Amino acid sequence: MPKLRFPFTLRTILLAGSFILLVSILLVTTARAESPAQETESYCLSCHSDPDLSLTLPSGESLSLFIDPAKLQTSLHSPLGIECEACHTNISTYPHPEIVYQSKRELARSYYQACQKCHTDQYDKTQDSMHAHVAEAGNQNAPVCTDCHGSHYVTKPDEPRATVSQTCGHCHTDVYDAYKQSIHGDALINTDNPDVPVCTDCHGVHSIQDPRTSQFRVAEPELCAGCHANATLMGKYGLSADVYNLYKTSWHGVDVAVYEAKWPTIWHDTAVCSDCHDIHNILPADNPASTVNPANLLATCQKCHPGVGPNWTGAWTGHYKISLERTPFIYYVDVFYSSLAPAILWLSAIYVVLQIIRNTVARARRSL
Amino acid sequence: MSTVKKTNVARDPHIRTVRTFKRFTLGQRWEHTFLFLSITVLALTGLPQKYRATSWSQTILATPERVELLQTIHHIAAILLGVIVVYHLGVIIYQLTRRSLPGDMLPTGKDVQDAWHMLQYLLYIKKDKPKFGKYNFEQKVTYWFIFFAIGILGVSGLIIWFPEFFTRFLPGGVIPASKLAHSTEAVTLVIFIVIWHFYHVHLERLNLSIFTGTLNEEDMTTYHQLEYKRILGKAEPGDKKE
Repeated sequence: MPKLRFPFTLRTILLAGSFILLVSILLVTTARAESPAQETESYCLSCHSDPDLSLTLPSGESLSLFIDPAKLQTSLHSPLGIECEACHTNISTYPHPEIVYQSKRELARSYYQACQKCHTDQYDKTQDSMHAHVAEAGNQNAPVCTDCHGSHYVTKPDEPRATVSQTCGHCHTDVYDAYKQSIHGDALINTDNPDVPVCTDCHGVHSIQDPRTSQFRVAEPELCAGCHANATLMGKYGLSADVYNLYKTSWHGVDVAVYEAKWPTIWHDTAVCSDCHDIHNILPADNPASTVNPANLLATCQKCHPGVGPNWTGAWTGHYKISLERTPFIYYVDVFYSSLAPAILWLSAIYVVLQIIRNTVARARRSL
Repeated sequence: MSTVKKTNVARDPHIRTVRTFKRFTLGQRWEHTFLFLSITVLALTGLPQKYRATSWSQTILATPERVELLQTIHHIAAILLGVIVVYHLGVIIYQLTRRSLPGDMLPTGKDVQDAWHMLQYLLYIKKDKPKFGKYNFEQKVTYWFIFFAIGILGVSGLIIWFPEFFTRFLPGGVIPASKLAHSTEAVTLVIFIVIWHFYHVHLERLNLSIFTGTLNEEDMTTYHQLEYKRILGKAEPGDKKE
């Protein structure tokens, strides 16, 4: 049988095809990297700038398809040339592919994955977060990127800084209300103070962990110490930066340090900062509403030490070093043990050494 | 009290008879044994709690249950020590009411003179050691140091064991003060016993009289001459030499 001959073999065709494909992919990628402008925005807005544009999802919800061109211009992405198609990768022309989402939530939970393309680090962090764990457990309301950052009108999340806490407050309303009253929240919201913590300073930004675990609990003193052991920062507000060091040597602090080092997963009730100072509604001690105000201190102690009497609070040296003025009794006990006790021990040691020398010499002389 | 133990051994040239002098009663010997046991257990279970921040302590206190166990043992030993203290004070009060308290352990002016004399001896100013009675000033220092240390440890220990109870009538400041006093006093006591007491009863000479209850004649004449004379002076003339 004579063989059939083709001018191009199948292999050549395949090779050429792959080459063309490769080049085109490379070209497309280069084009995107060099000039991210897809110039899709004006094309899309020709329809989507209509405020009445909407569709009804199978869930019965009405999904607005309106995009405000003015707001879009003030967002971060659009002025940088990152336009519609950067995220809506499956929509390149009209008519659009059919919408397959049952509800608005399903749509949001699907679309936020587009953020991963550029913001990989942040996206990966959220995957280990408390919010992701809650979502895995079936809570569809757990936030995704767009719930905090917005979808089309993305702006800087911390300008002003209070925006961060307000964002968290959209869902965590009770916590935000308590925080607003606190010394931290008040300074943030009313004076845009740059030093006070916003939610993310304590809870983390994207990799937010469950703060109700024993691990979070025993690590909490260190968390607060991040600012409260900083002498420069505390000096600005006339606060003592010794609080953490003194806490560490206290009954509570030593206990907590041991649990943190050895048994972080075992729940332990020894007091950490927030047990006395409250969690979000932290107030200065001179505020009558503060849990550590002298008027409320006993009740605060009684949370863990039920039934203790009014003298009990005197046991608390108040994050202060032992001093004659503040705690005279403890001061004298300390003086006694830091001077008299060592003196007695040294005296007895010297006496014994003299005895040993004398007796050894006497014994040596006798044996001569 | 201190009496001469008569030795009724036949006069055989090969047998050396040793006269022993009663020093401690059976009750006192048992007291010492229990005191030794309780203080040892208290120190061994207390030190890891004081130094909880160190790694050796955390090796011992490997689990929260161990911490609890150690605290329980510490409390049991403390109760034993409390019983000893009550017994000891009870005997003293009983003897006081019977007007039969020996009083050998009470510090006297002679102790100060003896200490000064001893210091001169140690510095080669004097050639001879001072002569002592039943308890020399070193032994009195041992007794009274431990006496007051146990007092401080007992009171402060009870306060940190039952802080809620004690702050009903004491100011709250006693809790941190007791915590400070308890652990520092305990360490002070342990160091004191090791350098002072162990030297005198193990290194200077092996003195086991607190276990045997007696001292032999040689120890009596070397270390407690005045007591030796006192006993023999009171004793019948026939007992003088054996």
